[in-house]
Amino acid sequence: MGTGNSRRGLAALAVCALSLSPVAGAAAFAAPAAASAASAPQETTLRVKMSGSGVDTLNPFLAFFDGAYDIFAGIYPTLNSLDEYGKPGPYLAESWTQSEDKLTWTFTLRDGLKWSDGTPITADDAAWTLNLIMTDAVAGTANGSLVSNFESVSAPDPTTLVVTTKEPQANVTYVSIPRSGIPIVPKHIWESRAKDLKDVKNDTFPIVGHGPWTLTDYKPEQYAKFDANKDFILGKPGFDHMIQQSFKSVDAAVAALRSGQLDYINGVNATQFTALQADKSLLTVQEVGNGWTGLEINHNARTRTGKKIGTGHPALGDPVLRHAIALATDRKTLVDKVINGLGVVGSGYLPPAWPQWSWKPAAGEETPFDLAQANKVLDDAGYTKGADGVRVDPKSGKPLELRLGIHSDDAIDAGISNYLKGWLETVGIKLEIQTLSMSALNSDLAKGDWDLLMDGWTTGPDPTFLLGIQTCAALPKDDGTAGNTDSFFCDKAYDELFTKQLTTFDQDERAKLVGEMQSILYKADVNQMHFYANTLDVARTDTVTGLITGKPDAQGMYPAQSYSFWGYLKATPATAKTAATSAKEEGGGSLVWIGGAVLLLALVGGVIVLKRRSGADDRE
Amino acid sequence: MTAATYTSAAPKAPRRHAFSRFCRAYAKRPAGLAGLGLLIAFGALALAAPLFIGDDQLNVIKVDGPQLSPPVDGYPLGTDQAGRSILLLVIWGARESLSIGLIATALTVVLGSAVGLLAGHYQGWVGKILMHVTDWFIALPSLPLAISLSAVLGQGAASITIAIAVTSWTATARLVRAQTLAVEARPFIERAKVLGAGNTQIMIRHVLPNVMPLILVSSTLTVASAILSEATLTFLGLGDPTSVTWGSMLEAAFLGGAVTAGAWWYLMPPGIAILIVVLGFTLVGRAVEHVLNPRMVVGR
Repeated sequence: MGTGNSRRGLAALAVCALSLSPVAGAAAFAAPAAASAASAPQETTLRVKMSGSGVDTLNPFLAFFDGAYDIFAGIYPTLNSLDEYGKPGPYLAESWTQSEDKLTWTFTLRDGLKWSDGTPITADDAAWTLNLIMTDAVAGTANGSLVSNFESVSAPDPTTLVVTTKEPQANVTYVSIPRSGIPIVPKHIWESRAKDLKDVKNDTFPIVGHGPWTLTDYKPEQYAKFDANKDFILGKPGFDHMIQQSFKSVDAAVAALRSGQLDYINGVNATQFTALQADKSLLTVQEVGNGWTGLEINHNARTRTGKKIGTGHPALGDPVLRHAIALATDRKTLVDKVINGLGVVGSGYLPPAWPQWSWKPAAGEETPFDLAQANKVLDDAGYTKGADGVRVDPKSGKPLELRLGIHSDDAIDAGISNYLKGWLETVGIKLEIQTLSMSALNSDLAKGDWDLLMDGWTTGPDPTFLLGIQTCAALPKDDGTAGNTDSFFCDKAYDELFTKQLTTFDQDERAKLVGEMQSILYKADVNQMHFYANTLDVARTDTVTGLITGKPDAQGMYPAQSYSFWGYLKATPATAKTAATSAKEEGGGSLVWIGGAVLLLALVGGVIVLKRRSGADDRE
Repeated sequence: MTAATYTSAAPKAPRRHAFSRFCRAYAKRPAGLAGLGLLIAFGALALAAPLFIGDDQLNVIKVDGPQLSPPVDGYPLGTDQAGRSILLLVIWGARESLSIGLIATALTVVLGSAVGLLAGHYQGWVGKILMHVTDWFIALPSLPLAISLSAVLGQGAASITIAIAVTSWTATARLVRAQTLAVEARPFIERAKVLGAGNTQIMIRHVLPNVMPLILVSSTLTVASAILSEATLTFLGLGDPTSVTWGSMLEAAFLGGAVTAGAWWYLMPPGIAILIVVLGFTLVGRAVEHVLNPRMVVGR
């Protein structure tokens, strides 16, 4: 029975590997950190967790993922910075003025700034970057919507940048801001790359840029390493180096944080946060949510010319069905159960982190949770139940069996999908849950090959980009390229308001228009906001201070953090002594774990050996 | 050869006799009995589950227990994030975990035995091709193959079952082929041939009954690894996230931060359930192996 035995041996090994993997992972991570500390004792390194989305590409013209934005915020300059209250401040631009007709903006750029290779930064770099995004469809993939109203950008001299807009535009000072805006790239590096921008990976290190940090190394799905720019104009970073470490699971990151191998995690989940609040060596902070989690509905995906694409269920084009889905979704329960109440029930498209844009349906207009009503509207619309309890679309004759795409490795998506499946089943809609990787989900989305998707977006203080992905201009071309639509939403009135709010300078007036846009989205039920989860941060108190900026409100909620720019810039090492002592304490704790693991291994191994021996005896 | 006496005795004596002798021999192996006891207990629980577990206790929209609570009154093994009883989830999870394990094993055994029998009987180019295909499958790493298969076939129990079967039939095929070769070399096969038995008759009437004990043993052991594979694949997120299996429970616990929260009551029960069932099948398999394989019997 040779085969039988070896297979069992493998199974036992697999069990051991499974039980030991977190320990092994932590040990592997500890080694390089210890080595670097030994070789350069006085140098300090800020160790943070990379965004869970990872980095899709280091090409700033094409990137969509949070991990990439976090990196760009540190290594590429922008015209403006944002202060703690979300107001535009100086960065490359020292000051800016607006012409009387509100069509021309003149930025005065700082003199004497240099790219990391020593070449001076001039207005020409900024003009070239913005012009490329305006004129080249590929270059506009990620940020094209931000400059769609720009008529021309020019640099009459090295410190002057002139932006002319087609219509008056209110948010020009938000167009190029760290993380959520357009990063300015060095013209002398990128000019030769502009032709084949689609294939540029931008992975020659150190990357030529300018910012609080220089990216010196990056390994996909592993880490990004940075050196501090000691001459940075907005302040010297408090650490000499920074590592953004990629973790496949937040639990592993939390274990690294607890054992002193990591200093900061932006975005733990609610269960982890609740557990970590009890730990005295950690600072736990809740930020007002700067993003939404919600359901998107493929209501007959179309290209810009109106050509139907994809395999969406035809019935989802019917607003009644979409409204029934909204009626059958209990957002309050989702907040309470899926994110332990650490968030706000969703309605408007823009998150509460930016209260100036936040919108709520008027009293009486909000969609309640009402299963009976959902059943009734479906009955009235002719969706009759089949023998199996699943309703049938009267037009296409297809049963209402819908695919729901969720992100793999995402507990929130998995949690929500369980509830949605339950509620929709009671109103006669059957869901088939499809777990997809982030890239598979996004590729299905772009092709229109989906019915329902769980999605989430975060936004900076200017809502233009997030509002822009719901405009008709964001739809893909007939060949499927150049689109960055989020749900194939296209509505004339919405597009008109989108252009109008861009040209409205009065804040309150603009907020009203943005509110109207959100009202259109809310009524269309194509993007159904479930909740705005609070961003949950954890930092070590013994190795880092000053990372969290701003002051908490009465409920203890901090404003949305610009962690990848201000947070990492302002973070400073805590006193070294406390770090060492606590590391020792933590070391004791992990010793117990390792000891336990060794014991377990010995036990399992012993049993296997004994078993084999007895088998051998039997055989002889 | 003792094996020959056993095999030639089988057709003469009534089957009932052989079975009761097998039972008596099996009863003398306490480990095998313990394993059988574990399996019967789990099997009975899984079969009886619908009698005492309803939609009200499993559907997240209907339960009202405390969230991620350690064992308390009414929830002897605590609750998950949605407030469902872990105990009931583990019992319910046995249904799908066991059925996927058993069905995948049945497929494995049928496929593996057919290939092994054919390859052993037709030793010409048919046998060569079949064995080359088998070798090719053995060379493929099974976990990545299973993952890509279930990714291609789509999620859910059916695709996982197929993925497990496709990746684990090779061992059975090799085993059965070897035994077929051994059986076919015996004189009684030659006698059957002389008496005019065709290929099918030799394979089905003469070889198969003699290979059967081996298949039985191998399949009991295959169930154990199939259940482990099922748990592995669902843990990796290839199952339906709304169905309850041990692997999906572990996945939900792991992704939901149960490790950080120290929620041992969420992680341990499905893990221990997998352990017990795999142990049960392994013990039974080994006991059956000892009883049926005369070369392993000591002091008779």
